[in-house]
Amino acid sequence: MKKWYAFFFSCLLAKIVLAQNTDVSVYVSKTQQSAVEAAKVSLNTSSTFTDASGTAILKNIPLGSYTLIVYAEGYAAYERRVQITAGNKHIHVKLKPEVTELKTVEINSNTQLLRKNSEARNIEIVDQQFVQRHLGGSLMTTLDRLPGISNIGIGSGQSKPLIRGLGFNRVVVVDKGIKHEGQQWGADHGLEIDQFATGEIEVIKGPSSFIYGSDAIGGAINLKPVTIPIAQGIGGSINLIGKSNNNHYGTSINLFGSNRNWFFDSRITYQNYADYTVPTDTVNVYNFPVRLHRNRLRNTAGRETGLHFNSGYVGKHFKTSLHLSNSYAKTGFFANAHGLEPRKVNEEEHDRSDRDLLLPYQRVNHFKAISRTEIKHETSKTEIELGFQRNFRQEYNRYTNHGFMPAIYPSTMTIPINLERAYDKFVYSGNIRHNFTLTRHQLQIGANADYQDNSVDGWSFLIPGFKQFNTGLFVYDKLMLNNSLILHGALRYDYGYAQFEKYDDWFLSQIVDGNSTIYKKLNRAKKFGRDFNSFVWSAGVNYNPGKFNLKANLGKSFRMPIAKELAANGVNYHYFSYEKGNQNLNPEVAYQADFGFGWTEKKWSVEFSPFYNYFPNYIYLNPTPYHDRAYGAGNQIFEYQQSSVMRYGAELKVNYQLLPTLNSEFLGEYLYSEQLSGDKKGFTIPFSPAPSALLNLTWSPKINSKLSNSYLSIDYRITAAQNDIVPPEKETPGYQLVNVQLGTKLSLNKQVFDLNLQVQNLFDAKYLNHTSFYRLIGLPEASRNIILSLKVPFKIN
Amino acid sequence: MPNRQSIGHPLNTKNMRKLVITLTVIAAIIAGCKKDKEEIDTIYPTINVEGASAFPKQCSIVKRGEKFVFRADLADNLELGSVSVDIHHNFDQHSHSTEVLACTLDPKKTPVNPLLVIKDFPVPAGLKTYQISQEIEVPANVDAGDYHFLIRLTDKSGWQTIKGLSIKVQ
Repeated sequence: MKKWYAFFFSCLLAKIVLAQNTDVSVYVSKTQQSAVEAAKVSLNTSSTFTDASGTAILKNIPLGSYTLIVYAEGYAAYERRVQITAGNKHIHVKLKPEVTELKTVEINSNTQLLRKNSEARNIEIVDQQFVQRHLGGSLMTTLDRLPGISNIGIGSGQSKPLIRGLGFNRVVVVDKGIKHEGQQWGADHGLEIDQFATGEIEVIKGPSSFIYGSDAIGGAINLKPVTIPIAQGIGGSINLIGKSNNNHYGTSINLFGSNRNWFFDSRITYQNYADYTVPTDTVNVYNFPVRLHRNRLRNTAGRETGLHFNSGYVGKHFKTSLHLSNSYAKTGFFANAHGLEPRKVNEEEHDRSDRDLLLPYQRVNHFKAISRTEIKHETSKTEIELGFQRNFRQEYNRYTNHGFMPAIYPSTMTIPINLERAYDKFVYSGNIRHNFTLTRHQLQIGANADYQDNSVDGWSFLIPGFKQFNTGLFVYDKLMLNNSLILHGALRYDYGYAQFEKYDDWFLSQIVDGNSTIYKKLNRAKKFGRDFNSFVWSAGVNYNPGKFNLKANLGKSFRMPIAKELAANGVNYHYFSYEKGNQNLNPEVAYQADFGFGWTEKKWSVEFSPFYNYFPNYIYLNPTPYHDRAYGAGNQIFEYQQSSVMRYGAELKVNYQLLPTLNSEFLGEYLYSEQLSGDKKGFTIPFSPAPSALLNLTWSPKINSKLSNSYLSIDYRITAAQNDIVPPEKETPGYQLVNVQLGTKLSLNKQVFDLNLQVQNLFDAKYLNHTSFYRLIGLPEASRNIILSLKVPFKIN
Repeated sequence: MPNRQSIGHPLNTKNMRKLVITLTVIAAIIAGCKKDKEEIDTIYPTINVEGASAFPKQCSIVKRGEKFVFRADLADNLELGSVSVDIHHNFDQHSHSTEVLACTLDPKKTPVNPLLVIKDFPVPAGLKTYQISQEIEVPANVDAGDYHFLIRLTDKSGWQTIKGLSIKVQ
């Protein structure tokens, strides 16, 4: 409720500007009474300090809209947009204790609105509370509720982000300032992120290459670290999670501590789940009916652990922190079909337990060490981030002699018999940024560099090992022309180099040349290197005269071709496709125009965000009409090609406060993509989400002092059919879905209990998700799922 | 403090004009791109092994040391692409066929010299229907037992249909 009051308050302040000057008094306090002395109070260019009574007077200020910044030592920096009018010249600012995080943000609708309005691109900001309320099987299914965001999922625990229909290596996930590097290119595994360990989450819809470099061509997800206030002593929380659909149980335990200068924060997350349930007892793999035991998808169980430890120092001019984390998951794949490949299973063995994990399954481990440092100078600030990551993924499957592989796995092989694929990646990265102000310009210059070393293992081959180096330099200028007009400009240059290793098959293939037949080990990858460079730009504007706000951004973005696109040369039996890389690909370029129109009234607000996007050379895995005998073992050739692609779409967000305790919301998204050239001219691009709308009604009653933050919320989602498809996709019918969320904060003898209950797919609808990995074999999405989460915060001293 | 006048305050004309212009531009872009959209092919090709002369069918038997003719009726709404055939053993019963009808399988066994055939056959250009007829030889020294006869058919647009038949080599 507090949020809403703050939000309304800011809206009510909007008034017509008159050419008149006034004195503004700002009262700065810690709580209601205790005044803060010597706090620096700035209204755009004029600034002064508070006196012993906590008051600062700024003289002769023209009426209008300003950014009020208050800074006091030991407190979090305060920033808010204010409207100075004849009737509003006394402002009360309540400061919060400083937090250890380098960038301090107060999470409420007001500051979020301010940030959204000073950013030329379209962004969505959510926090841990959103995660608790909409908890999905993984971070990306949780974020799926946001307009313009979907996910590519497999099973119940893994999914990858899809922003306005672009995913895989076209979306960057930044974790604590460092680009998260897993195996983004694969459809059958998720993102190695513990959703309980995230602080604020910022989703940037639209190209962001100029800040994040290659891969941010479709957007970025910026996961910020959890903020810990200073001088808190020792505290923590215990989170317990249970889900009915897959008999999931999990816990996330947090312990933190801080004094004036030092802090630590730690977390352990453990999740264990059984095979998930679907609203059907038979699935047809092609025409063959597969019976499901108690509606469970055989072998989709999993275990996940997350370990996190962060510690740091906060000084007056210097802050530094070190973040260590390890996330591990072992998850099974549906046993009766791996991708498109039918598998015969021992049903008795599989159905003995729905919690055991048999073949095929995967193991993914992601270790991360990130160091963040911020140095404040007289009038500027320098930020440095250094990171090390290791992502190790192994896929285990029963040995099957695909193609020309020997019928019996040779005993001389050093690769374990069940190891189908393994990818091991070491990444070293560094960022440096310097922020300073030149008259009305807020400038940021920065550089990023990263080096990757990738190796492969397993009896199946798709991509060779490779080493990769990328570096980029950028400058970003934010020009505050006046109180309501902000201009943005950015330039960036990137250089990248990739070096591939040679790979020869371990088995002999039959080569028929005219009348002669020979057997030899095929060479699938030559040793070769490619380098790329790219120059991109972005220009944007924000216009916030009052209730109306407008944002526009125009930019060029790029993406360097990834290893799979350049050097793949093997059969992916999950799709019966022989995937053939193309070492001559050019860096993918995109031009995008983004707009945002908003109007905010006391009881309602509207936000409309259309965009238009053009790729002159979109990289696309094209299913050709041909089969390849030697390299492809008779499979269909899928070849990487470049074609021009046009995309446009929009999101619409409407909010209406029906009653002080009853809020309604409409979220809509639409996307259209078309290939304008090449073999698939006229077709869409893969994984295009269908148009979708979400209607929400949230009741937030004020019950009593023991029950606060109570809410009951109903989401009704209508998704249209997706008939815009490209081989090898299938048309997906539309569906309707109802999800319910409710929760409260129970206070008993100073002990707080945060309770959240969710029912996903309330009516047990049987529907297909167009962007799910299992869509191609027609597996419906999960049936009704009741999710209970309890969070108990505690304080030790 | 609350400014009641501002509730429901209309868009000022300057903003309104900007909004209208921008929306018109977007509408024009969208409209401009929607025109002359060609019909795209979304139909998979079909493999028919039900015809009288088609061979093999689900649970068919082929003889070692003999040749058989692979015959199937292929069709597509626009233009056929190519056909590929893969015969591999299923002694370990790793997989089932794509068909409804299940065949009786021999007990699981270890392969010694299993038959392996991987062949691709082009389809003459420009055809909507085609009866493939290709001779396949089963050498005398291969292991008898359960095999999969996998047919992959593409069309010109890149749609692929897969049919996995269970056959027996005797």
